[in-house]
Amino acid sequence: MLTIKNLHAQVDQTAILKGLDLEIAPGEVHAIMGPNGSGKSTLASVLAGREDYEVTQGSVDFDGSDLLDMDASDRAREGLFLAFQYPVEIPGVSNLNFMKAAINAQREHRGMEAISAKDFLALVKEKSALVELAGRLRDRSVNEGFSGGEKKRNEIFQMAMLEPKLAILDETDSGLDIDALRIVSQGVNAMREAGRSFLVITHYQRLLDHIVPDHVHVLSDGKIVKSGTKDLAMELEEKGYDWIKEPAV
Amino acid sequence: MADTTPTSKAFWEGLTPSVSSGLASVAEAGRAALDRLPVPTRRSERWKYSPLTAMLAQPLNSPEAPHGIPEDVHVQPIPGLDAYRVVLVNGHVVTEACDFPVAEGVICMPLFQALDEGRLQGGDADWSGYHEREWVGALHAAHAQDGVYLELEEGVTLDRPLLVHHHVTGSNVAVCPRHRIVMGDQSSAEVLVWHSSSSEATGMVNALLEGHVGRGARLGLDKVQNEQGKIFHLAHEHVTQASDSTFRVHSMTVQGHWVRNELNVAQKGRGAHTIMHGVYLPKDQEHVDNHTTMDHTVPNCTSSELYKGILYDRSTGVFNGKVFVRQEAQQTNAYQQNANIVADQGASINAKPELEIYADDVKCSHGCTVGQFDDEALFYLKSRGIGERAARALMVQAFIGDVLAGMGSEEVAAEVETLLSERHGWM
Ligand SMILES: Nc1ncnc2c1ncn2[C@@H]1O[C@H](COP(=O)(O)OP(=O)(O)OP(=O)(O)O)[C@@H](O)[C@H]1O
Ligand SMILES: [Mg+2]
Repeated sequence: MLTIKNLHAQVDQTAILKGLDLEIAPGEVHAIMGPNGSGKSTLASVLAGREDYEVTQGSVDFDGSDLLDMDASDRAREGLFLAFQYPVEIPGVSNLNFMKAAINAQREHRGMEAISAKDFLALVKEKSALVELAGRLRDRSVNEGFSGGEKKRNEIFQMAMLEPKLAILDETDSGLDIDALRIVSQGVNAMREAGRSFLVITHYQRLLDHIVPDHVHVLSDGKIVKSGTKDLAMELEEKGYDWIKEPAV
Repeated sequence: MADTTPTSKAFWEGLTPSVSSGLASVAEAGRAALDRLPVPTRRSERWKYSPLTAMLAQPLNSPEAPHGIPEDVHVQPIPGLDAYRVVLVNGHVVTEACDFPVAEGVICMPLFQALDEGRLQGGDADWSGYHEREWVGALHAAHAQDGVYLELEEGVTLDRPLLVHHHVTGSNVAVCPRHRIVMGDQSSAEVLVWHSSSSEATGMVNALLEGHVGRGARLGLDKVQNEQGKIFHLAHEHVTQASDSTFRVHSMTVQGHWVRNELNVAQKGRGAHTIMHGVYLPKDQEHVDNHTTMDHTVPNCTSSELYKGILYDRSTGVFNGKVFVRQEAQQTNAYQQNANIVADQGASINAKPELEIYADDVKCSHGCTVGQFDDEALFYLKSRGIGERAARALMVQAFIGDVLAGMGSEEVAAEVETLLSERHGWM
């Protein structure tokens, strides 16, 4: 699904990703943990196609195509989704118009006709039920005036609407209360299937109790410094990151 | 020192003086003022960012009345709009294309006819005094042409909007349409003034609209400028409001080579409410200037002003919003907002709110912003698969959506949006 090889990326001449390798097979859930500022969101942004980040070395293969060769909207149309750590407020653009434009862009890309109003509403109903997104939030401007937790829930709603092949969740759990965490996790779990992969960025083991990962990686200073199973997350929760950062004996 | 350079004289010398006997004294005063008032240049504060130098370089002529309706005039420019219609070409009323409202208490006819019938009685032919204050006003008055006269008697509601479609055609033409709207007490009307021109047209439109909104009356005015060619468009609207009246105006510049709008509203009776909204999206090297004056002279009135602009390419914009709250005007609630997006590096806007408040018990707020498109928001939209163009279109629609939504009818708002998206290649 996703093969990252020796990825180097910089912003304003400052190197942030410094030779990152990662392989995600179809259907797998990978978790990335790591200290603040280690480059987790940068990785997510580079994969999603944010233009401020310059890739200086390495390659990313996404389901057989060169991901780095596509612009952000094409990556999304090809099935990549990023749930933002900080979702953006867009006053004046209604959430539903936004989703309709996104779905139709995807359908056009696949040679399909625009979605009918009826089908669209049915889809909205189904997917918002999945993440228990209140109607009043659906009908508002994109994220405008949403609470932190509501924004995260809206990200998962969008993911459910767009049914990506690969979803990257950047700290979707932060700011969620216990119930919201459960609901969002259930939403993600309901979408787990053989052809769909997840890359879950988090600081907390708690999320991984709900969304059980196949692999856990530690990102530090722009590189994956340790990989393991879900037990690694438990260990990190207990011991912190220092023991990993120390040179191997 | 009056600046009557030979250029400015050559510019207007060849024009036909106003032919209406009812306007004779106004035209006369205008002609005299042309010699006296300073020609707007970079040196005059009010015209600093919109000097007339480029326009004055080319002498103009007064176009003949057209024979019939020119081929490129869409008599009905707004699909689906069910409206009465007055069509003007180059400042002449094209009677065969008009559909004047005929109803009890509704007086609607060409302005010249209203003058001939003595409806604008002695001394009442001019309300704005524009020709006494501005060279541009003098230029208009001296050459004032026909337009619409609309009068509603007390308590009368015009059952459909009135579309006033003004079209310009020809080379180096000088066109000076003049309109008068008189809203009797408790009357109500929607008026749409639509300006178009053929793609080869060059010259000047110098338009004047005077209005009075009586007690408890309501006037909605949509002005849409959609002129191709190279037209210098000078417009002045002068509206006074009596107590408990409502006046709403939307000034929408879809396209214009060079535009200067000057909108003056004065509240003369308590409880009046004014809405002044506008949108401008110049591109290439176009220029759009909106000068507005909101004059609160009596207590308990409100005003709400919102102008939004997006400036592309190397276009330039000006917004100058004066709000006066006179000493008498206690409990005024005045709001003014001007928001701009400078979309390209070569574009610029000069925005200046000017509040002069002499009363102490008032609520006035104003804001002025100049920014760029929000890159974070653009990336967010693109990250969901929406292409660059469509993403920008969504953001533009979001930006100007609240102004469009307040227009007199959905049909007009939709047509303005369609024209804008065609012009800017959004869809
Ligand atoms: N646009 C940018 N301009 C300048 N520096 C940046 C930019 N984006 C990221 N950085 C820097 O790159 C480093 C990695 O940031 P990143 O956001 O990827 O960290 P993170 O691992 O997601 O951290 P956190 O756990 O706090 O979310 C940080 O030092 C950050 O300051
Ligand atoms: Mg981060």
